[in-house]
Amino acid sequence: MKRKKSETRAAVMTPLTTTSQNKAREEKLGSVVEGRLKTYDSGTDNAKAFVALLRRRMTRQIAASLAACVHCGRCAESCHYYLARPGDPTMIPVWKADQVRRVFKRYVDWTGRIIPGWVDAWTPVDDEDLNRLKDVVFGTCSACRRCTLNCPMGVDTALLIRFARGLLTELGIVPEGVFNVSRDQWETGNQMAVTEEDYGETLQWVKEELQAEMKNPTVDIPVDKPGCDFLYVINPREIKFDPRSISHAARIFHLAGESWTLPQKGWDMTNFGLFSGDDSLGGRMAGNVYEAAARLRAKRIVISECGHGYRSTRWEGFNWAGVDQRLPMESVVVTLDRYLKEGRIKVDKTKNPEPVTFHDSCNIARSSGITEEPRRVLGRVCADFREMVPNRTENYCCTGGGGLLSLPEYRPLRLEAAKIKAEQLRATGAKLVCTMCHNCVDGLSDVIKHYKLDMKVVQILDLVNRGIS
Amino acid sequence: MSPLLKTLENEVQIAALLFMAAVYMIRLAWLFRFKSRKERTFAEGKEAAGIGRSLLNIAMPWAVESARKKPGVYLQFVIFHLGVAAAIAATFIIPYAPGVFKITAVVRIFQVIIGAAFLVGLMRLFRRLKNPAVRLISTADDYVSLILMVLFFAAGFLAVPNTYRSSEAALIAFFALTAFFLVYVPFSKISHYLYYPFTHFFLGRTMGHRGVYPVKRREKGGSG
Repeated sequence: MKRKKSETRAAVMTPLTTTSQNKAREEKLGSVVEGRLKTYDSGTDNAKAFVALLRRRMTRQIAASLAACVHCGRCAESCHYYLARPGDPTMIPVWKADQVRRVFKRYVDWTGRIIPGWVDAWTPVDDEDLNRLKDVVFGTCSACRRCTLNCPMGVDTALLIRFARGLLTELGIVPEGVFNVSRDQWETGNQMAVTEEDYGETLQWVKEELQAEMKNPTVDIPVDKPGCDFLYVINPREIKFDPRSISHAARIFHLAGESWTLPQKGWDMTNFGLFSGDDSLGGRMAGNVYEAAARLRAKRIVISECGHGYRSTRWEGFNWAGVDQRLPMESVVVTLDRYLKEGRIKVDKTKNPEPVTFHDSCNIARSSGITEEPRRVLGRVCADFREMVPNRTENYCCTGGGGLLSLPEYRPLRLEAAKIKAEQLRATGAKLVCTMCHNCVDGLSDVIKHYKLDMKVVQILDLVNRGIS
Repeated sequence: MSPLLKTLENEVQIAALLFMAAVYMIRLAWLFRFKSRKERTFAEGKEAAGIGRSLLNIAMPWAVESARKKPGVYLQFVIFHLGVAAAIAATFIIPYAPGVFKITAVVRIFQVIIGAAFLVGLMRLFRRLKNPAVRLISTADDYVSLILMVLFFAAGFLAVPNTYRSSEAALIAFFALTAFFLVYVPFSKISHYLYYPFTHFFLGRTMGHRGVYPVKRREKGGSG
C-alpha cells in the first residue's frame, strides 16, 4: 500500500553507482574526511535520514509551495519534457514535485499525518525508493522555472526539485556526475579541476596570442592586480575548452580602457551547489569569489557569460554563504551594453551579417531578470537579429540546465525533450544562435547536432568582438 | 422555516465559521513556525512591484502563457471561482439579508453564475478522470473536494430563491454542506486560497528584488 504510487515507472531508471564515491573514500579526500562532501552509506537507514532532513531543512517558502498545490495540472504545458512526451504523465512538473510533496504531507503537513491515503502521503521505505526519487529530480527536470512562472498558485516547483536534490546529495544518493563535479569544486575550487599551473599557462598563451593579434605588447590579462575597477570571474570551461572568450573579453576591456583583473584564486564563478542542492558547496564557491574581490580591493565584480554562474554568484551565493553583499556586481553583457552606450567601443554591424537569434538562459532571464541588455547589444552588433518565439522569461530551456550536461545517463531523455527547443530554433531561420551562457552553448550544440539543424552557437562576446570596427 | 433549517442557518454556521477561523489561525502559526530566508543582496528591482505583480497573476491572463494559450480554461477558472464567491455570499445573504433574494433579477444572476460554476465543476471532474496526467496526480482529496463543490453549487442553485415551501430541502442541503465545508476545508486542498497570498508574496518578492517582475517587455515575435 505504501509503495503503490511510488512504483509508477519513471521515464528513466538508473542504478545508484558509487564507484567515484568509494574511490574518494579510499583516497581519503579532504572534503570527504572533513564531512563536506557526503558519500553513500548503505549501512544507514537512509529513508529515515531523508525524512529527518526534510523536516529539519523545511523553510517557509518551501512549506508554502508544498502545501499550496491544487493539482490543477496547468504546469504540464509549460514543461518541455511534457510537451515532448505528452503521453507520459510522469513528465508533468507537479508529478515530479509530488514525489517529495507526498513525504512532506506524511510528516509535516496535517491531513496526511492522520489519513495518509486521503492525500496520497507517502513514506520512502528504503534506498530503492530514494534512488527512484533521484532519477526523477535529477533526471527529468532541468529546473528551468518555466512551470513556476506559469503556476496560478505561485508554486515554485524548481525550488522544490532543488530542495529534494539537496536532501539526496546529503545522503550520497546522487548520479555519479553530481558527485564528481561536486568533488572537483570542493577539492580544487573549480568544477573542472583546473590546476593553478593550467590556469596560469592558459592565461599566458592567450595573452601572448592577443598581443600578437592586436600588434600591441601592452595588452594585458592581469591576474591578482589590486585596486582595479572590477574583478572578472569566469567559467572553468573558458580555461579548458574555450579560451577565446577570455581573449575576446580582454581585447574589449583593453579597447574600452578598463582597469580590471582576474584573481589567482576564486576565479570560478560557476557553482554546482545550485544544481546539487548543496547550500554549503554553493556558499563556499560563491564565497571564494567574494573573498577574492575583497582581497584585491576591487570596486565591483563582473561575471562572464554563464547563466547558472551569474545566478549563483549574483543572487543565491550570498544567501547560501550567509554574508551580505558589499560590492556591486554585473554580468559582462551589462558591461558591454554600457561600453556601447558610452561609445567606449565602436562596432560595425555589417561585420555580423548572418541572421542571428538569441536564446535567453533560464537562470539569466527567468531567475535574474536580464532580458533587454543582451538584445540592445545584439541590436548594435548584428545586421539581422531575429527573435525566437517564445522568448525572454518564456523561453524554453536549452535542455542542458540543472546540471544535466554532467549526467550522461539522462542524455537520451534530455535529447528527446529537446525536440521543443529544436523546433523553436528551426523556426527562426537563423544561422547563428547566440546565448550568454556557457552551459547553454553546450546544451544548444547538443540539440543542433542531434536534430541536424543548420546553425552554430555563439556568445555575445564572440559577436561583439567580431563587430568591433 | 423548519427548526432544523433555522439552526443550520444560524448556530451551526456560526460555530463552523468560528471553527474554521480558529483552524486557519493555527495553520498560519504553523506556516510561520518555519524559518524564512533573509535576502542579502542589492536589489535590481522593486520588491513591492514584484509582489503586486505576482499577487495579481490570476487577474492577468495575458501575462501567463497557459492562460493566454488556452483562454477557455482560464474562463472556466473565472466562472468556477465566481460561482464559489456567489455561493458563499448566498450563505450570508439568506440568513442575514433575505430581502436581497426577493428581487428576482438578483436570484437569476446568482443562479446563472452558480449554475455555470456547476457545469464547469462537472467539466473539471471529467478532465480529472480523463486526462492521464491529471489522473496520476489526483488524490482522494482532489476528487472529493471537487465533487463536494459540484454538490454545493447544485444545492446553491436551488437554494437561492430562498422559498421555504418549494426549496427547503435544497436550503437544508445547502447549509448542511456549508457547515461541512467550513469544518473540512482547512484540512483539504480547498484551503489553497489561504496559501495563495504567501506563495505569491514569496515568489513576487524574490522576482521583484531581482528585477524579473514586473516583466519588462512582453514576448515579441518576428524580426526584432
